[in-house]
Formats: sequence, C-alpha cells, structure tokens
Amino acid sequence: MPANRYCIKLGGESGQGINTLGILLSKAIKSIGYDIFSYREYPSLIKGGIASYQIDFSNKYLASSSKTCDILAILDPEAVHEYLPSLNEDGILLYDDEQVVFTSDEQAWIAQNHIHVVYLNSEKIAVDTGGSPIMSNIVMTSFVWKLLGLNTEDLLRIVKEIFECKGEEILNKNILCVNAGYNAVEFKEEYTQATIIPSQLVESKNSKILTGNDAIALGAISAGVRAYYGYPMTPATSIFKYLGNTYKETGILIKQAESEITAVQMALGSMAMGTRALTATSGGGFDLMQETISCAGITETPLVIVLAQRIGAGTGVPTWTGSSDIHTAVKSGHGEFPKAVICISDVQSGYIQIQQAFNIAETYQIPVILLTEKQIAESLFTVETLPQPLQIQRGMYDGENRYTITDTGISPRWAPNFDKKPYLNTSDEHNEIGQSTENMNEIQQMSDKRMQKMTTLLSNLPDPTLYGSPNALTVLVGCGSTKNPVIDAINEGMNIAYLHYEYLYPTKTQILQNLVASGKRIILVENNQTGELGKILTEASGYQFKEKILKYDGRPFFLEDILNIQI
Amino acid sequence: MAIDINAYNSNLKPTWCPGCGNFLIHMSLKKALSELDISPSQTYIAFDIGCNGNGADKINTYAFKGLHGRAIPLAAGLHLANRKFTVIADLGDGACFHEGLDHIIHAIRSNYDITILIHNNQNFALTTGQATLTTDEEKPMYGLPDSKPERTLEPSEIILSANPSFYARGYSGDMQQLTELIKGGIQNKGCSIIEIMQLCPTYNEECTPQWFMQRIHKIEETNRTLEEARKIGTITDESINTGIIYRNTELKTYYELLENRKETQTELVDEVKQFDIQKLFDQFK
Repeated sequence: MPANRYCIKLGGESGQGINTLGILLSKAIKSIGYDIFSYREYPSLIKGGIASYQIDFSNKYLASSSKTCDILAILDPEAVHEYLPSLNEDGILLYDDEQVVFTSDEQAWIAQNHIHVVYLNSEKIAVDTGGSPIMSNIVMTSFVWKLLGLNTEDLLRIVKEIFECKGEEILNKNILCVNAGYNAVEFKEEYTQATIIPSQLVESKNSKILTGNDAIALGAISAGVRAYYGYPMTPATSIFKYLGNTYKETGILIKQAESEITAVQMALGSMAMGTRALTATSGGGFDLMQETISCAGITETPLVIVLAQRIGAGTGVPTWTGSSDIHTAVKSGHGEFPKAVICISDVQSGYIQIQQAFNIAETYQIPVILLTEKQIAESLFTVETLPQPLQIQRGMYDGENRYTITDTGISPRWAPNFDKKPYLNTSDEHNEIGQSTENMNEIQQMSDKRMQKMTTLLSNLPDPTLYGSPNALTVLVGCGSTKNPVIDAINEGMNIAYLHYEYLYPTKTQILQNLVASGKRIILVENNQTGELGKILTEASGYQFKEKILKYDGRPFFLEDILNIQI
Repeated sequence: MAIDINAYNSNLKPTWCPGCGNFLIHMSLKKALSELDISPSQTYIAFDIGCNGNGADKINTYAFKGLHGRAIPLAAGLHLANRKFTVIADLGDGACFHEGLDHIIHAIRSNYDITILIHNNQNFALTTGQATLTTDEEKPMYGLPDSKPERTLEPSEIILSANPSFYARGYSGDMQQLTELIKGGIQNKGCSIIEIMQLCPTYNEECTPQWFMQRIHKIEETNRTLEEARKIGTITDESINTGIIYRNTELKTYYELLENRKETQTELVDEVKQFDIQKLFDQFK
C-alpha cells in the first residue's frame, strides 16, 4: 500500500445499510479535505448475501481501489471470514458479533500479519445510550473515526446533514450514538500505530463526491436532453433515478417504458421529431435495442444510447464490473452503417462525453453508443468542478431532399415544422427523396453516402491520449475504468506511459502505430476475457498485440494489479 | 375549407394488389386529414413493416417507416416530443398482435394522444400469407397445410381489456364510414384505436366484399360500458359490427399526468438548449 493512501472497507449483509454507511463515511472523510474513491461490491439480491463498501482516500486525487485495506469494519459474522484476507499487515479488524469464531488457519494468519482484532458490541452501546439497534452502524462508524484519530465534530456535522430530514428524535439518537462510539472503552492507544493516515491538506478543498452515472445524467441535462426513456437494468438504472429525482427542476420528461425495445424506439421517435432524448441500459437490454440501432443507421436518425457494462454473457454477474460489451457496441445492429462508440472513464469524461455523444449523433445523423462500466457507474469519485459544458451542435440545415448525396455524406435534416417541407425517414433502402429503391446504382450510391460519414467523422475526432512519461519503455493501452488505476500508478511513480482510448469507433491508430514503430513494449490492459479493444485496434491498424493483461473476474483493476506489472 | 386531397399524394403510384383494402384505407386517411384541415406538414405518420408500410412513400406527410412491430412506441416518442403534430401509427394485425403485442396494451394504458390504425387483413400478407392470431382457425396457410394449431384471438378483447380512450372498427370497403371513424380518432384526446377490417383478395380470398357485406352491421355510438362494448365488439360467424364501439372520456392523457410538465407551455422540441446545471451540481456534497 503506497504511503499516501489509506483504505477502509465496510462489510456486512446486503440490506444492512452498508451503502448508506459508506456514503456517510465517504462524505465525512471528503469533508475534511481528502480525496476519496469509493467502490461497492454487492450481490444481486435485496436482503442477505455479503456486501462491501470500500473507501480509499488520499491527500491527492485518486480514482482506483486498493486490493487490500487498513481497517476492516464488519457488521455480519459471515463477512468477517470473507473479507479477513483483504486486510493489510498491521491492519485492524473491527466486528460486532460475539458469535464469530476464527478457524485455526485464520488465527494463525491474524497472528502472522499482526492484525489487531477488535470486538465492539456496537448494538449494546447503541441501545444503552438510547439509540435503536440499527444505530449500531453509527456506533461502528464513529469508532472507526476515533481509530483514524479524527475530530468527532467533523463526523457529527455530516451525521447532522444526513439525518436532519429524519426528524429531531432520530437525529438526536444518532448524535448520541456517534458520541458513544467515539468514546467506547474498547479503544486502545496501540491501535493508532496501525492508523497513520495521509496528512491532511492545510487548505480544505470545496470538492464533491459523485458517481459516473450522476455525471452522465448531469451532462445529459446540460446538453439539453428533454426526454429520458428507460427500463431498469443494473448498472444503468441510477441514471434514471437521478433524472427522475431532479425532473421538477429540469422539466425533463421521464418515462419508464415497457421494454428496452420500447425505450429505444421512443427515443428514436423523439429524436426524429427534433428534441434530444436519451435511453440507457446494460448488455441484455442493449441486445434488444440493436435492431433499432440499425434502423437509426439507415434512416440517418440521431440516437444516443448509454451502455453500462457488467460482466458476463446472459444474465452474467449482474452487479459486478467488466468491459465485455465493447464488441457488442461496435458491431451492433445488422447490415452495414455508420455509428460511433465512445467510452468514458470517470466523472469528467462522463459529463463531457454524453454531451459529445449528442453533438456527434445530431451532426452526423448516426447512432452513438456511450460505454460505461459498473466500476464507473456506481463508484464515488471526488471532483472539485466539472469542465465547461460543450457548445450544443445540432448540425441541422434545410434542403430540398432529406437524403441528398453530399461530399461529407451528411444530408440536410430539419426538425419537422408546420412551415417546412415534409419528408419520409425510411428504413427501406431509398433514393435521395426517401422513396424505396431496389435499383442497383441507387443502393450502392446511398450506401456509399452513408458510409462517407465515417470518414468525415474520423477526420474530426481527437487522437487517443498518452499519459505518463513519454520516455517510458512500457506503454499500456486501454479504455474505460482501466485508466484510473493506471493513472494512480503513474502518480505513484511507476515509470510507464498509457495510451487511453475514449473514442473507440471509428478508430484512430496513428499514435499507437508510432509507439509500435519506436520499439516500445506495448501491453494491452482490459477488463474482459478476449481483449475487445485490442481486436478493434488490430482491425484498424493491423497491429497484433503481443502482451495482454486481461481481467474478467467481475472485479476492476485494483491499484496493485497495475503496480505489480513487471516493467 | 378542406385541404386539396392531392396535397397528400407523393409522385409514386401504390403497389398493392388489385382489390387490396389498402387503397381505400389510404384514401380514407387522406380524406380525414383533409376534412379536418390538417396539412401534410402538420401530420407525422409512423409506418410499420407490411403491406400497409408500403404506403409510406405514397403519402406526402412527415413519416417514418421504421421496424416491424414498433410503429406504436415510435409514434409515442414522436408525439411526446411535439404534441402539436397529429401523430398516427399505421400497422397491420401481424405487427400489432404478434411482433409488438406489448406496445398496444401499454399505449392504451399510457393513453398517449395518438391515433393507431390497425389494418386487420387476417394474415401476414407481405411475406405471402402466414397465419396471424386473427386468421380463421380452419384455414390452410403458408407452411401450415392443415391450418394453424393455435387458437384465434379477438383484437377487440385485447384492446378493450386495457380500457381504451377510443375504440372503433371500420371496414376497408366503406370509405365514408372509415373516414368518419379516423376523423373521430384523430379528434379524440387520448389513445384512439381504429381496427380496420381489410380486404385481402390474394391471401384471404374467402372473405370477399360480398362475404363482408353479409356480415357487417353498422352500429350507432351510444354510451357503453366495457362489458357492453365487449359484447358488441365480438366478431361472430354471422356478424361484424362496425362503428365507434367504446369511448372513455374520463381518462386523462399521459402528458396531462406528468407533474413536472403541467405548467409548461413549450414542447420538448422547443427546449433543446444548454441547461445550467450549477444548482444541481451544488446539491452534491
């Protein structure tokens, strides 16, 4: 574990309020000037099963999780055994169930790694001080706060902020529990040896914590999206939640459709009418949307779909992360037609790229797929500000015919208007007027016109970004959430460079080819089984990746996964 | 004063079989729009795939010929973006009750202010005559020499089960009545369903104009309960009732029920501009 990072993991049964507790602790740590990155693991069920909430924090920006933690605070006996091995040497195990019996192997491991084992009867403490049994969570949190050597006032401030809306009685009970936990007699001075945390910044920053999905939703609002059509599917659903919870402020029309097919068709209809509409889903729902993507392609109707990836085919592992739908996105829809695929990595890119997705979709009259991952969608990132919003570009212009053949491939498109000439958008192959055709010349000319837009778009897209030292001999290549642990590793002093792909398709490969030509060691790093980004880069450049680091166990790349790469 | 009906024609001639019911259905639609003074530029039609959809480039309104079974959600999306347009979904019995059965139910219960024209020719005609749920149970069909093993289902039962705002049945051979029914559907505020019994001389040759004439019985519109509408809407061996079968004036439209749009005068298409998110961003801590 690098010296300027610290990690706390909360574990318990799903439904015990781990998430609420994690957010509370994240906010409290953030409020005293640290940057945090919070990562959730939870099962696809509502009650029972084991869930965790991990908060990594530092006095500088971080956006990845560590594989191991310094404090493990556990609310459920089963979770003790599950998460014990994730403790660092000299770490603290805090648990609240006296029934926990450690196996002899566990006892040996605890001794060998100098783990401080602390049993805290948090429920009794909560009840004795006048709280309810569920407030044992607050007692635990407060005890963790004490372990960190932090000021109780800072925690109280956040507790007040969060519980104010629950009424005076509940708030007061929670305050009592904070004080009781903080002053619990189980605390020993020797623990502070294990809890040396990064020094606080002198100047506290006015930063905020938000998820990748919050960022996409904010970006969509900013970009003038006026309708959201959704169908629930993890990890896309929280975009729907945010847009729904803010719909009075924004006036956005929110519709829970009867299926993903309906959601995407409604979005297509609203876009064809001339507003901006969004839909978001995950792999299975995206499969259902693919016929509509193809329809958007040939009718040249702008369409934006957020594809929030999780790991696995079929139902897969619904609440775990991965990046195994890159190919699905790039190859989506039957037939041949232009489209764009963009992949976000964090809050900033989510906020900007959803805006870019709409600009590209409207300017080029194509479907655009914005990829995110569970690791980005549901993790909490620390940000001070968001970038300046992009100027809205709609690319509309009047003309004689809807499908006029042009050099750029981009035809006139105007929002339906009582005073303008009506036109037909058609999924039949068609001539410039939009009338169905089976004429061989017209079929080929219209196909060429459409595909010309890919060339036009590619020439206007930015190159992938090269991070790290230009002199480094090793260059990692990746996209999506992979960027975050790699950048954190570079910030830790790892001597590598990293070529990050945000625009996956159409695909720019000049920088990659230059790096290959200069003799660098190139390693593809992807959160999937078959190196899907790599295959797209190979298709575009001919370069075959010789080294690949592929992770497809439902977990993101942890910081150590990158730091342990032999360079 | 009505708009010249020629204004709705494109320069293409229809490609339907001689005697196809689509000729008069199209004519009725154009006539209805013309008589209601709704110009081609004020109309947006979502066409499905099938023989009906082959009319998409024969009519000169705003139109979108999309995917099979999806004309209804496409029309809903079009409508919600700009309610000033008269939005019509035009689809066949195969699209409506096979590929996209979920959509008709949810459109009715959502009560979007759109008009849905169902061309019920009792088969998938464009793919050369496969069975649909409206095909006669005894009738040999494409790939089914001994007829379909599945039961026939009544569109009226499906439609009325969801309590529609407006449900009428017309017949492609009676343009005058059909025109009035389409006008009624367009004027009705809410989701209007018009099921059109359609002649298909190629794949439903038994049901000739004479066959229909013997069975069709025009009904007057009266206040009917759903139960009464079900009775009168049921097609029997002897009779097919046409006319306005059911109307529910109590229902609010989908859009009217949107809490956050109640005070808004503009349409979604008018509102695409940079939205300042600072206040929302400030709510994050």
